[in-house]
Amino acid sequence: MINSILRFGLIFIILVLLQVLMFNNIQFSGYVNPYVYIIFILLLPVEIPSWLLLLLSFGIGMIIDFYSGSPGMHSTATVFAGFVRPFILRSNSPRDGYEPGAQPSMLTYGFRWFLLYAMAIILVHHTVLFYIEVFRFTDFFRTLLRVLLSSLFTLVFVLVIEFYRKGR
Amino acid sequence: MRSLLNFLERYNNLIIFLILEGIGVYLLATRNYYHNTRMVNGIRWVTYGAEEKLNNTRSYLNLRQINENLAAENTALRNSINRLVRNNNPVFFSVSDTVYQQLYQYTTARLTSNSVNKQKNFFTINKGTRHGITNDMAVIADGGVAGVIVGCSENFSVVMSLLNLDFRLSARLKSNGYFGSLSWDGRDYRKAILSDIPQHVNVNVGDTIETTGYSAVFPEGVIVGTVVDYQKPGSDFYEITVLLETDFRKLHFVDVVANKRKSEFIELENQIQ
Repeated sequence: MINSILRFGLIFIILVLLQVLMFNNIQFSGYVNPYVYIIFILLLPVEIPSWLLLLLSFGIGMIIDFYSGSPGMHSTATVFAGFVRPFILRSNSPRDGYEPGAQPSMLTYGFRWFLLYAMAIILVHHTVLFYIEVFRFTDFFRTLLRVLLSSLFTLVFVLVIEFYRKGR
Repeated sequence: MRSLLNFLERYNNLIIFLILEGIGVYLLATRNYYHNTRMVNGIRWVTYGAEEKLNNTRSYLNLRQINENLAAENTALRNSINRLVRNNNPVFFSVSDTVYQQLYQYTTARLTSNSVNKQKNFFTINKGTRHGITNDMAVIADGGVAGVIVGCSENFSVVMSLLNLDFRLSARLKSNGYFGSLSWDGRDYRKAILSDIPQHVNVNVGDTIETTGYSAVFPEGVIVGTVVDYQKPGSDFYEITVLLETDFRKLHFVDVVANKRKSEFIELENQIQ
């Protein structure tokens, strides 16, 4: 318990630093803004209580907001992602269900499962985030393109990290 | 109570979600200038129609109040204009009469009360001794005779109107210079009687009557009115009805005339007598 708290605390800090110091400065032609800190929500244990999941999502969103100078933007998106995560897990559950104490990782449930799971949450998060950012429905498809490209980039990064964890 | 607890237990995730999202949206709306503007604009767009109708109705209902405010403002502005006018104008301004070598000084005053329907009419003007006005100064309105100052306080003066049975004025026919005494008979506020014109003088309807300047009160040549009718009663003199130049019902602003050499004039007259 203490161990996992420490572990997720470390992941939390590393992700925030990564996002703030590196990925916030990446911008390919105005279409690709990767938000890789969403991995934190992806990696939390399957059986985590919903309220804790929501609070942690809100927390990381707030921290990122704090460093990005956009109060409420990321936290709204991350809370939404945290809210839909249990539904995605349930609808995407493996044939024999989740084991107690399991972590949603490629190592445990395979590449295909993890790809679907990560893609769904990243898409939800990025969609909410980008549409809140522009806050209008004119240029709807332009924003959609941004969502898709950024999601793709984030997904690639998440998969790279997962492959690294798997290979270790 | 139990059902409420059940409800809370069942939907606690949703409730936490909504609370956190509420905080997020609140921060979004209040701390980000762009999002704030967009939201305010959206809300305004939704409520614009209703708001406009409400405003229209409200402004109609408020018309009475607005009118009162405007009237009050008008009064204030008028007061300040008066103050400015009074401050800018010298109390008296002089007119040099090079032909008759008399020096008259004029000052403008506003009527504060007026009457035309008594037998002895007086009106009050808003200037007094503080402005250099003394008794027996002439009062002229729009170039026509109006009255004579009979009493002064510091800021106000009472004028004996031409429409007063006690008022006497030395006046003459402009065409031939014969002079007589003008007085009011107490009937029509537009008409006065010029008497003491001898019957051999040629008088026509429409002749102009003007002041003589003999009394040292009125300057010479101030128009009194025009002849509308003349009769020959039993005596040797005409009784000429004069339509007065000044309409006393419309009197608002008057000029007070000071004769600078009046004291000299009176002194000399007293010496002779």
